[in-house]
Amino acid sequence: MTAIALYDVVFRYPRGGFALKCPFLELPAGEVTLIAGPNGSGKTTLSKLMCGILRPQQGRISVFGSGIEGLSLGEIGRRVGYLFQNPSRQLFAATVWQEMLFVPEVLGEDPGPLEARAEALLARFGLTELKDRRVPTLSRGEKQRLAICTMLMGGAEFFILDEPTAGLDRPNRAELYRLIDELLAQGKGAAVITHSREAAARWACRQVLLEEGRVVA
Amino acid sequence: MSSADPRVKLLWAVLCTSGAVLFTKPGWMLGLTLFTAGGALLFGADLAAAGRRLKKFLPVLLMIAAVQVVFVRTGEPLVVSRGTVLVSREGLWRGLAAALRLIVIFCTGAVMVQEDSRRVINALAQMGIPYVFCFSLFTALRFLPLFIEAFGQALTALQLRGVDLRRVPWRQKLHLYNALLIPVLTEALCSVEKMAAAMEARGFGALPRRTIYRPAAMIGLDWVAAFVLLTLGLISVRIYFTP
Repeated sequence: MTAIALYDVVFRYPRGGFALKCPFLELPAGEVTLIAGPNGSGKTTLSKLMCGILRPQQGRISVFGSGIEGLSLGEIGRRVGYLFQNPSRQLFAATVWQEMLFVPEVLGEDPGPLEARAEALLARFGLTELKDRRVPTLSRGEKQRLAICTMLMGGAEFFILDEPTAGLDRPNRAELYRLIDELLAQGKGAAVITHSREAAARWACRQVLLEEGRVVA
Repeated sequence: MSSADPRVKLLWAVLCTSGAVLFTKPGWMLGLTLFTAGGALLFGADLAAAGRRLKKFLPVLLMIAAVQVVFVRTGEPLVVSRGTVLVSREGLWRGLAAALRLIVIFCTGAVMVQEDSRRVINALAQMGIPYVFCFSLFTALRFLPLFIEAFGQALTALQLRGVDLRRVPWRQKLHLYNALLIPVLTEALCSVEKMAAAMEARGFGALPRRTIYRPAAMIGLDWVAAFVLLTLGLISVRIYFTP
């Protein structure tokens, strides 16, 4: 099954300069795809297009078979999670537990029925002991795990991770790889934007190579 | 005049924005807006870029104007429905005045944004304002675009968690925007801490007295401009407030 597909996509930033062209790209669900390329080659632009943060001027993008033209970010977010380079920007509540139940609270829904699911996710991603910790005091790796947990709470099936290894040392990178393995074990897929050869060697998975705004391999 | 002393530009900005707060009569407000726009052009502001920025705020601008139009019912009625005044001349004017006020702020902002912050800081410090205060103020202003970006990213992240903002009830929306400020403020505090450490590492504030490599100097034209602006300001206030 295809999680995200791009057909004849052309995107230009409104103030000109950089343009991304992608004639065809399919990212399979339930697998890891690495997106690599030099700085400024369009990796982040491509990832933002894939989850609807940016909308292309030409071409079509589909998420699990549905074109994103008519979908709001909220609707896309229910199936595709996006981990920002700086995970602090996507965590809003004071404590880890409050963060897990943030969305139902914001929507004015009873978080009660979701508590068991939140507990299970925290346990699975090794965050149970940090349940009452204040979010700003977490390490970057812990914030990444928490952000992924919150997306899983929302029902995401495919994850786009924007340079998750940047600035992480070897133990933290290993922790991140375990996190991605855990996602795979749950039947989820991921597109990982990375410069790391280590990641490529680990999964021996499909790689998409970008150069100057074009998919070259 | 684009190379005028920053103190002249500051004086012009202070006079224009003060006028925008003081003047409530239609003719005066229109005159002030034209005077500000003319000044901005004279000082070499990129009004096209300011216009593009203003476009983003157009809905807010229209909303502020609409609130004034709807809620001010005094004055000659212009639109009446079943005995209820929907739009009055006073309301219409107040709405227009609110919009003009924002245009004045944008024009003065467009001039000050183009000014080299180092020149402004030095000029203010030469006037006796504490250097640390001027520096902090201008540094904070430089951080604003970063905060706007961080806020936008937080908003996007929230929507990607399945929150459709259009469907969030108003009361919850207020709670939501409060929560959105958390990552932005956290980031701001972290940035400030890092920046303070970096500045101290480079010797900021190590010595009690600062020297200025290129002190700001008012030339003849600057003095004339400052005199004209001050005189114009005083005369305007005098005429405006004379019954």
